Amino acid sequence: MNLKNISIALTVLVFGVIAMLFMQKGNYVNQAREHYEATTNKSFKGNTMVFDLVNSAIETNKGTWAIACGALQTVKNTQDMAKLEAKFFPATKGSMSITNKTRRFEANSANVIVSNFAKVEENKTTGVKSLAGLVSVDVSVLLGKIAPAEPDEGADEEGAEE
Amino acid sequence: MDKKKMKILVVADVVILVALIIILMTLKGGYEEQAKRTANEQESAYLEKNTQVLVEQWRSVDQYSMAWKLVYTVLSGAKTEAAFNSSLAAIQADKDARFKQISHLYSSVGINDAVQNGIYEKAGLAEGSILVKNEKGSKEVACGKNCVVKFSFAKGKLKNVDYSALVQYNLANSLKIEKPAEYHFE
Repeated sequence: MNLKNISIALTVLVFGVIAMLFMQKGNYVNQAREHYEATTNKSFKGNTMVFDLVNSAIETNKGTWAIACGALQTVKNTQDMAKLEAKFFPATKGSMSITNKTRRFEANSANVIVSNFAKVEENKTTGVKSLAGLVSVDVSVLLGKIAPAEPDEGADEEGAEE
Repeated sequence: MDKKKMKILVVADVVILVALIIILMTLKGGYEEQAKRTANEQESAYLEKNTQVLVEQWRSVDQYSMAWKLVYTVLSGAKTEAAFNSSLAAIQADKDARFKQISHLYSSVGINDAVQNGIYEKAGLAEGSILVKNEKGSKEVACGKNCVVKFSFAKGKLKNVDYSALVQYNLANSLKIEKPAEYHFE
């Protein structure tokens, strides 16, 4: 009877080892999968964030460039400039400095252009001053160069002339 | 069951058990090595493919930036075919300015220098000229992936510049970061 018990125990052990044989493969596959998913998901999230951020930067950047290049083709005075700004950035207005004869448009701190005009004009009926005769558009901020000077504290806010 | 058969069964069990333990130990190392190798191979392939999208994006931004600078320079300068040619050559040759302009755009959305340098090390700057069509009176420059700016000249003077593709430029239409595929143990 003793031999019978040993025989049964050994048979059970054989089936146990067979089960382990199949389980160990599953364990290694699961470990490998976890490592793969952790690494690739981290890369996916990080790179997607960079990719989307750059695309959003282009959205603002291209609008600012479009204003600068459009101004060189069509703008004669600050009223024209205001219309062009509103076309690409309806919620953002430029600010005018009568003293410096400039108009500064700032989509954000990295997307700034400054238009220089030749003269100041005054509407005799309303008394509102504006700038006319576009001379140049400074895009040094867009090019990653030194930011143009901040407008004077007394810069006239855009609005009355529109 | 008689005693003789029982003995045979015990011996057979012991033999099978020893054989199974040997197989178990042998396969253990094999499975472990195979699992690590396939995971590393698939990770590397994905990371490579994934990073390549950022490399292409960087090079596209370089072309995009040069194209805007060229349009601006031509419109604010002499507006001639000769000025176009000299401006294009100058813009393409000034690699420091190109990097600075790309970096400015990346920095504007908070992408730090370490990330930028990591991409730049793999991407460099866009290779070759952005001038993709060069006929007398008609020029086209690449302004990124699937983007072209058209310049036309009449008697050496600028007649028209069509940069509508730049104004509508959207890299998300042509590039995408793919989600990782399922892991396969092969």
